[in-house]
Amino acid sequence: MIYLDYAATTPLDARVFEAMLPYLRPDGVFANPASTHGPGFKARAAVEKARAQVAALIGAEPGEIVWTSGATESNNLALKGALEFRGAAPASKTLHIVTSRTEHKCVLDTCRYLEAQGVSGRSGGQPVRVTYLKPSANGVVTPEEVLAALTPETLLVSLMWVNNEIGVVQEVERLAPMLRERGVLLHVDAAQAAGKLPIDLGRTPIDLLSLSAHKVYGPKGIGALFVRRRPRARLNPQMHGGGHEQGMRSGTLATHQIVGMGAAFDVARTDLAADAAHIGGLRDALWSRLQALPRVQRNGGGEGIAIAPHLLNVSFEGVEGESLRASLPELAVSSGSACSSATQEPSYVLRALGRDDELANASLRFSLGRATTAADIERAAGLVIQQVQWLRELSPLWAA
Amino acid sequence: MGGLNMEAAEMEMTNPFAYSAPIWQRFSAPFRAGRFADGTAGVVSGQAGTPAARSVLKLQLQFVAGRVADGRFQAYGCPTSIAVGAWLVEWAIGKSAAELRGLSLAELRGTLEIADDRAHCAVMGEDAVLALLSQYQESRI
Repeated sequence: MIYLDYAATTPLDARVFEAMLPYLRPDGVFANPASTHGPGFKARAAVEKARAQVAALIGAEPGEIVWTSGATESNNLALKGALEFRGAAPASKTLHIVTSRTEHKCVLDTCRYLEAQGVSGRSGGQPVRVTYLKPSANGVVTPEEVLAALTPETLLVSLMWVNNEIGVVQEVERLAPMLRERGVLLHVDAAQAAGKLPIDLGRTPIDLLSLSAHKVYGPKGIGALFVRRRPRARLNPQMHGGGHEQGMRSGTLATHQIVGMGAAFDVARTDLAADAAHIGGLRDALWSRLQALPRVQRNGGGEGIAIAPHLLNVSFEGVEGESLRASLPELAVSSGSACSSATQEPSYVLRALGRDDELANASLRFSLGRATTAADIERAAGLVIQQVQWLRELSPLWAA
Repeated sequence: MGGLNMEAAEMEMTNPFAYSAPIWQRFSAPFRAGRFADGTAGVVSGQAGTPAARSVLKLQLQFVAGRVADGRFQAYGCPTSIAVGAWLVEWAIGKSAAELRGLSLAELRGTLEIADDRAHCAVMGEDAVLALLSQYQESRI
């Protein structure tokens, strides 16, 4: 089995596993980090060390990191929390969000929820309106397009740094100061960017940024939301309780997972350049090999457009998506095929780029990671080429 | 890809998508895939599609002395539609045109264990056989 689905999730890095063990053992550091006794202080110290490690990867201050269960929760907290906080101010009326059609489902579904429900504030319910920007065929939403969509009611823009299906890197670093000047909050889903691209929030005025551990060789079930302190990004909590995490996210902290996320982000910071060179080199080699086939299309990117080093999304003309996926049981890759997803619809990201259903179906997302080898890529490319050729030969519609 | 006589464990390993065993077998190693060379004597073709899934199935059967001696199929579609093509050719060999008319959708679905949501693949198979039979009749006139 060749695993090329690192954008879905990564295995634990061995160094992360070792770092977590003392917090999982029955005789380990198990106390509640909120407890005010020796063992509690020890757990608290581990949590704070991890907070500093996560902050260090993105150029933030430790006090700007709020632990969550993952990027989905971070995105929910950022969007709902920011709107509810603002909704509570009596002066505002309609609240407007600008986002793009190729955001992760958890951002789009949160936006749809907010549109349907509105936000309840002190002055009663306030309607929420969302603009879903359509990216160009290469997957990019430019800062200028975002600015053009702003209205006096716009409270927040939510744009992902790296798209999880096609890897396109949005120009959030150029966009952030433009929004700061205009007093509009910027939320960035960086689940696929952290550990892949340099992120420096000391220089980039993003207000809210979502992170996930399991995309960066950390454990599943833990993530974080960066909440800027200066100027302060204000959120209403979505999880009420003991007032943990500066009141923004209650719930006993999962020390072992937090330690794992800290260790993973520490490794990612140390290895960032080496990982990017290794993974990006193999990704380029894979694309180069696949172009031995006629009529293959790379989804996303193009001249002058940055793509994260770990992602390659390709559509294969003339093959049916489900058979393409089924013909490659030795490869663990994501497929654009409707039959491979829970929703039974072809990829909405590829359709937003203007791909028709058939091409969106006949696509594969290869995502590479730290453990990927040149031999894996050679074997994977060979299998894909062989099976695409076979399915094309089998097709009565294929004319080479 | 594995051969036709895969052990259950091997089947499970190479069929992670949980297709039925008869579908997976024919999809993994389809016999008689392809087409006859143009001008091959006695060859009759039939093609059908299914709007439900934009699939297309093309059957070619070679008749010798009123019976199917050999066959080929081509398919664009899901593993089920490919398996339907492979099974129909297997099934047709040795039969007369009159016997081909006796194709039973229930038998086709039952043998390949085709689920309800893929019934259209079996219907496409039947349509391809009917198209082939009408071509057969015309070619005899």
